[in-house]
Amino acid sequence: MSWEQTFGIWLAAAFTLGIVSFLYRDNIFYKVCEAIFVGSSAGYWFVTYFWDNLYRKFYLQAFDPVSPHIAPWVGFILGVLMLTRLFGAKIAWLSRWPLAFIIGATAGVYMMFYFVSNAMLQIGASIKPVFVGSFGDIVSNVLIAAGTFCGLVYFFFSKEHKGVFGGAARVGIWFLMVTFGASFGYTVMSRMSLMLGRLDFLFGDWLRLIS
Amino acid sequence: MRTREIIAFFALIALILLAKYVLPHPMQFSPTLSLIIIILLSLTFIIIGVLTLQGKFVERRIVFIYVGAALTLPFFMQIELEVPISPEVQSAYDQIESLNPGSKILAAFDYDPPSAPELQPMADAFMKYCFHKGIKVIIMGLWPQGPQQAGQSVEAAFEDDPALRDKIRYGVDYVNLGFQSGNEFVILRMGESFKAMFPADIYGTPYDSIPILRNVKNYSNIDYCMNFSAGKPGTQEWVQGAVDRFGLKLSAGNTAVQAPMIYPYLQAGQLDGLMGGMAGAAEFEKLTGYKDKATTFIKSQSFAHIVVIVFIIIGNMAFLRGKTERKVK
Amino acid sequence: MKDYHRPQLLFQIFILPLVVILSLTSALTAQEQPVIPADSIIHIPAPTSNVVAVDYVYDRGETVELTWNLSPDDTIGGRIDGYELTRIEQSTGKMDTLEVIPAGISYYKDDKLTHGHKYAYLIRSVYFGAKSSPVSSNIITPSIEIINWRLANLFAIAFILCGSVIYFIAHAKKGKKLFIRKIAGLEAIDEAIGRATEMGRPILFVPGINDMDDVQTIAGITLLSRVAKVVADYDIRINMPVSRSLVMTTARETIKEAYIGAGRPDAYNDDMVRYITDEQFGYVAAVDGIMVRDKPATCFYLGAFFAESLILAETGNSIGAIQIAGTAQPAQLPFFVAACDYTLIGEELFAASAYLSNEPKQLGSLKGQDVGKFVAMIAIVIGVLIATLAELTGSSSLENLSEFMNRLFTIVS
Repeated sequence: MSWEQTFGIWLAAAFTLGIVSFLYRDNIFYKVCEAIFVGSSAGYWFVTYFWDNLYRKFYLQAFDPVSPHIAPWVGFILGVLMLTRLFGAKIAWLSRWPLAFIIGATAGVYMMFYFVSNAMLQIGASIKPVFVGSFGDIVSNVLIAAGTFCGLVYFFFSKEHKGVFGGAARVGIWFLMVTFGASFGYTVMSRMSLMLGRLDFLFGDWLRLIS
Repeated sequence: MRTREIIAFFALIALILLAKYVLPHPMQFSPTLSLIIIILLSLTFIIIGVLTLQGKFVERRIVFIYVGAALTLPFFMQIELEVPISPEVQSAYDQIESLNPGSKILAAFDYDPPSAPELQPMADAFMKYCFHKGIKVIIMGLWPQGPQQAGQSVEAAFEDDPALRDKIRYGVDYVNLGFQSGNEFVILRMGESFKAMFPADIYGTPYDSIPILRNVKNYSNIDYCMNFSAGKPGTQEWVQGAVDRFGLKLSAGNTAVQAPMIYPYLQAGQLDGLMGGMAGAAEFEKLTGYKDKATTFIKSQSFAHIVVIVFIIIGNMAFLRGKTERKVK
Repeated sequence: MKDYHRPQLLFQIFILPLVVILSLTSALTAQEQPVIPADSIIHIPAPTSNVVAVDYVYDRGETVELTWNLSPDDTIGGRIDGYELTRIEQSTGKMDTLEVIPAGISYYKDDKLTHGHKYAYLIRSVYFGAKSSPVSSNIITPSIEIINWRLANLFAIAFILCGSVIYFIAHAKKGKKLFIRKIAGLEAIDEAIGRATEMGRPILFVPGINDMDDVQTIAGITLLSRVAKVVADYDIRINMPVSRSLVMTTARETIKEAYIGAGRPDAYNDDMVRYITDEQFGYVAAVDGIMVRDKPATCFYLGAFFAESLILAETGNSIGAIQIAGTAQPAQLPFFVAACDYTLIGEELFAASAYLSNEPKQLGSLKGQDVGKFVAMIAIVIGVLIATLAELTGSSSLENLSEFMNRLFTIVS
């Protein structure tokens, strides 16, 4: 292994231990590691966005020697208008145009995205015969139908949660809590996996205690 | 810095030097030693449980030590764990397995190095499987580091079987189109034209010059899509923009944080298969036959989960104990 | 058609003997040759029939679908390799050989056309270089369809939903009262502020880490106005670190208005709202530090949060503060629910914001969404009932109805 790789591994190990030291308490090592992380990530994203957006998407297309495009100029002008927020109230209002463009465009795209994929098709998937198949299938179908219905009842704001309606809302919140528990469990697994990745680096690549 | 902390710092340095230069490399516990460690840890759980019932609550930071031990010690233990296959991972595997040699698969790498511990193992297994089966892979990414993670998967496949280096040709059997910013708008535009979003590959080779991309205009010209995703843009955007709009067939590998949000799409049939987190990666490795890091890590994962479950039980015991005491008072 | 027969004749008279001689020569020189079945040279596969070209609907006029009957020779072990497709553009006479479709397949989609142009197709069966006589399709002109009628169900449901939202917004703008049930979280907010007053400790308000273009942040700021009113009335100190400059400006205006409304403009101070940093974990580290030093009695987390949610909630828990959270990020809700005293789950955040602000747009949107939820609930109940009865009874009319319900909520792409 070259000396640069060795130095890199030791540096990465030092940063890992510095960040993890926060588990004990806030300390100078953690603060230094965090500041370096924040600074380098900001620098990395600046460089990425410069080359991928400003250079590749705007400059190469707008100044193409064979067929220069006009469309990138629209994005460029809107981007410049966005910067007017930095220059005081007199011209800061100009930044509302690009903001309106972004909000309008994404609202239009997302409206159909979420309406189709997250609403319509999910309702269609909930419409299933319940008492068919094995016992496990029946239980699964009943839970899906009941959970979806009661969850919708819980988030219905035009009626008080009283009587049968209130009972359904209560069942809905139970379903939600079970979902949150499952989600929490999955997240615990995810965090453990990330920790495993770091431990694999520390014990494998750095200390070489594992093959 | 206090004396205690200075001592801890030097103790850590000593441990590092010990691990680096004294301990055997690699280090492995014998089965007897592994069993003794597991029994001792279990006994400490029982002691903590008893103390909790007696109202003598232990310092909560002890959880960090136990989780650290549960994650670290299995690295050195010779334990084999059976990995059961879940239906959603089986379904993802079946879809790829049904493809004929020569089929084209679009592999979207939408993650970065922080999510690599979970997603890289499944990506590696996927790439090895595709190369051995003769499936052509078109790589792209909606995250900047995605294509470079894909490059690592390709390299992992070549290291696993050096014969592939001669057999698999870049541009013919696989291509890396690189990263394109624009999130879901890229997905939408690719539905009409891949070339519009990727006029050249990651090395600058024009789209039309790449043999594997001949006759590949949009989604209708590829046989399947596999997405490895750690957030936004990711599987949700692929389902919304490509599956529901253009009829693309898709399976996905997600981080465990994201997986619960993707299950509704699986249940609705919008997604063919789903590999969630490290467990999904281990299952996929088992199915493809390329057991690697996920299969190794799942041992540590399982032990850590047991520790968490035990401490949840102990925590609830403490809570109920406190509630009872308050009632009595 | 005679023109197409001539190449076949030439092949049989002149090329055939040449091939035979070459084959013999190659056998003598013992070079490796591809294995050609003995009868392939003279066997010409039977042509296809019934070649039909149809315009692919609901596209931009670039696609035509081609179908044909398989050649009689297209059987298992049959002497046919596939079908060679040729496209003829009628106006220019340009002929393009497309590709050879493998045997057994009788469908092809050509998507490289120009709308308004006329095209025809020729299909020849091929077997080891031997080609049948071509069979021509009808002349087809691919056209653009402006309206995709397959999405009529989507339009209808979207019309109902959007129409409801617009209707209720108009209704609210006229000053008519729209009923929204009381949100339990709002009582928790009042209790939490009361606790801070009793203890004489400050309140911490965190509006999330997204900018003012996120509706969750807007909802958080609306709730801030409620909190700020009470804060101004009871002279409690409020601390609001933010991670976006625009949020800082808006929050300062909101709190200032609250103090002016309470008749105590002098008590307001710009330092109540401070910008920290845009960087996620840098912001969280700073807020954690504020919590540990200031020890607020009450912490509000109302807005868009990501991975920092658990860090904030844990720190707040460790200092013994009462915590009220509200976010629409599904991945963060479990952490808030586990660690906070009360959580506004998802849409409850927006409902609380609409309830407090009484703004017509927010109220109307909420009511319109309730119409959508009502439609979904009815569809699920009726759909499940019909589907179950259809499955149990086997009634064809119920099956048709169930099929209709499913199609109503399916998108054909």
